[in-house]
Amino acid sequence: MSAPSTPSHPAGKASTHQLEQAAASDASITAIHQTLLREKPEPTEGFSPIPIFLLFVFSALIFVGGVYIAHYAGDFEPMAFDPSRGKQVASAEPAKPVDPMVLGGRLFNQNCAACHQVTGQGVPGSFPPLAGSEWVMGSEERLVRILLHGLSGPIEVEGKTYNGAMPAFGPKSGYRFNEQKIAAVLTYVRNSWGNTAPAVTPEKVKEIMAAVGDRPGPWTAAELDPFK
Amino acid sequence: MSSAPSLAAAIDPRTKMPQERAELHQIDESTRVLALIFLGTSAVWLLVGTIFALIASWKLHNPEFLSTQEWLTFGRVRTAHLNTVIYGWATNAGIGVSFWLMARLSRTLLRHAGILYVSGAAWNLAVIVGTFGILRGDGQPVEWLEFPRYVTPLLFVSYALIGVWGIITFRFRRGEHTYVSQWYLLAALFWFPWLYSIAQIMLVFAPTVGVIQALTNWWFAHNVLGLWFTPIGIAASYYFIPKVLGKPIHSYHLSVVGFWALAFFYNWAGVHHLIGGPIPVWVQSAGIVASLMMVIPVIVTAINHHLTVIGSFQQVWNSPTLRFIVFGAMNYTLASLLGSAMALRSVNSVTHFTHFTVGHAHHGMYSFFTMVMFGSIYYMLPRLLRKEWPSAFLINVHFWGTAAGITLYVVALSIGGWIQGMQMNDVKNYPDFLQIMVATKPWLFARTIAGLMIAVGHIAFVVSFVWILIKKRTVEETSPTLFNTPPTLSLKTS
Repeated sequence: MSAPSTPSHPAGKASTHQLEQAAASDASITAIHQTLLREKPEPTEGFSPIPIFLLFVFSALIFVGGVYIAHYAGDFEPMAFDPSRGKQVASAEPAKPVDPMVLGGRLFNQNCAACHQVTGQGVPGSFPPLAGSEWVMGSEERLVRILLHGLSGPIEVEGKTYNGAMPAFGPKSGYRFNEQKIAAVLTYVRNSWGNTAPAVTPEKVKEIMAAVGDRPGPWTAAELDPFK
Repeated sequence: MSSAPSLAAAIDPRTKMPQERAELHQIDESTRVLALIFLGTSAVWLLVGTIFALIASWKLHNPEFLSTQEWLTFGRVRTAHLNTVIYGWATNAGIGVSFWLMARLSRTLLRHAGILYVSGAAWNLAVIVGTFGILRGDGQPVEWLEFPRYVTPLLFVSYALIGVWGIITFRFRRGEHTYVSQWYLLAALFWFPWLYSIAQIMLVFAPTVGVIQALTNWWFAHNVLGLWFTPIGIAASYYFIPKVLGKPIHSYHLSVVGFWALAFFYNWAGVHHLIGGPIPVWVQSAGIVASLMMVIPVIVTAINHHLTVIGSFQQVWNSPTLRFIVFGAMNYTLASLLGSAMALRSVNSVTHFTHFTVGHAHHGMYSFFTMVMFGSIYYMLPRLLRKEWPSAFLINVHFWGTAAGITLYVVALSIGGWIQGMQMNDVKNYPDFLQIMVATKPWLFARTIAGLMIAVGHIAFVVSFVWILIKKRTVEETSPTLFNTPPTLSLKTS
């Protein structure tokens, strides 16, 4: 074997022919000369041994990997999603109680702050304030109903009249808040920005939900008067 | 008996391996047209991708920019950027470099060139149609697979042809020894059609349900980086570093460990994009451990590359090829180690869903892979065309524009992304999402500046590319274009 391809192959023949032609002319020999001389030999490999410290590093990595899998694989349960505990531990330990102020704060910032603002001050003329509002700190009967089904039309808050629409957040609305979320976010607004009012419990929310039942549209301020 | 060895012997009987060099020259001749087609189209796609990148980057801090043009909304431009640079630039350049390397290392002339002509034409046609499809709104909502479904079969067939070609060439190799670059190239040619076909079936044509979709998506997207671009980048580094320096690669044993560790661990690592998601926790932990284990092939490859380079920095600095490739190899080490760190739960909870991840993706794809491709092209074109690069100045502009630009890019997005992640995890002090978003603006602006620097580099590169294509071949050129010409020996009589 001496040519770069088998002699029967047409491409091999063609380039052999080219090379022979090239050999005929001085200029092309010079050109090939240049191309060849700038080319260093094809790369080869040395055979330095693997440093011993690397083997220690690899062993340490594999050890750490094994320990990690043993600790965080949730016993290879298909339904385990929490890295810190497997299924058995999860069922033995009761779930941590949720702090309504933390959950409520998060829900408020995600869903309410766009209109009522992070500071609870609302936007003058457009969105009523929650801080210091008699609606927020008043009866929870009224407040829970607003959150469940929304409120539209004129409403007087802290002596000013607003005319807008608040969306519904209840389980049948687009937001799908359950009683725990409604209780948490109301507890949050009743105890932030200087407001002080008793917390709203999920049980109370559930009771009101049962009392109202299905309702086609939002409340008006006048309709809520009986629940003051 | 062909005349090749005898001619080579006639040229210079004293050179150590005259026959090998004459063969290499013949092989280069046989690959010339195809290599120029792949590398030329890749350069065009590079420019197109850069334009999309600049538009998308500008929109991130000035959202009103071009927002009335439906075809140029952020979602489409950003997607067009990703797909043109991945499938237009990087894959075309990768294929061009791979088959040239494969032919050289197998010491065989380019066989069955027709396969490559067909697949090259089909591939570029598919990328053109696909990019238009994305811009007009036909894109698929799967990251890294956004090309509309009417072009993906064409992409797959043309790619499979290239794979077949690679295997044929490898089959007809000569010589006892298979060099390390060949392992990586051959593996990459197998891996990519496998990834692409599985992802197409499980995500597009017969979509799986629920979280399996997300899992398949990230398995695919991460493996395109790790099992397609990375092996080509490593193969090119393994070839050009010892080739230009003229010394052997540090250790064969390390190469073996590096290759098999990459092949074994990388496939698992993609899950780290879904940490904290509704995926069974053991799958996440397996992905994290695999990402951690990637330290093994990375360290091994780093030792092999960097210990080969050590002691020859002057040569690296003077050679355009090596300046790009060694920059790429160093960033491969850095980006991979950072990537392993980012897979740890504690770090991931900060960096996930922030600009940090975007910075990291560019670190791997640009600082490593793209720079290695630039270096390879600087080596290949003079051999293919038998002409020298016309201007060391342009190469300098290219190097500094891209190297400084991408470094600014990665540093800015890493710092900005880290701050963003810390703020998003701190609901108490940063309750307002918008406030966090506004705070990222200076970093995003720095990214546009970095993008402009990179664009200047790319323009210099394309000008060089066109110039070397059209310039006349002269006999006077005897030495390659270097940044500093080494001093020549001269006899002094005192």
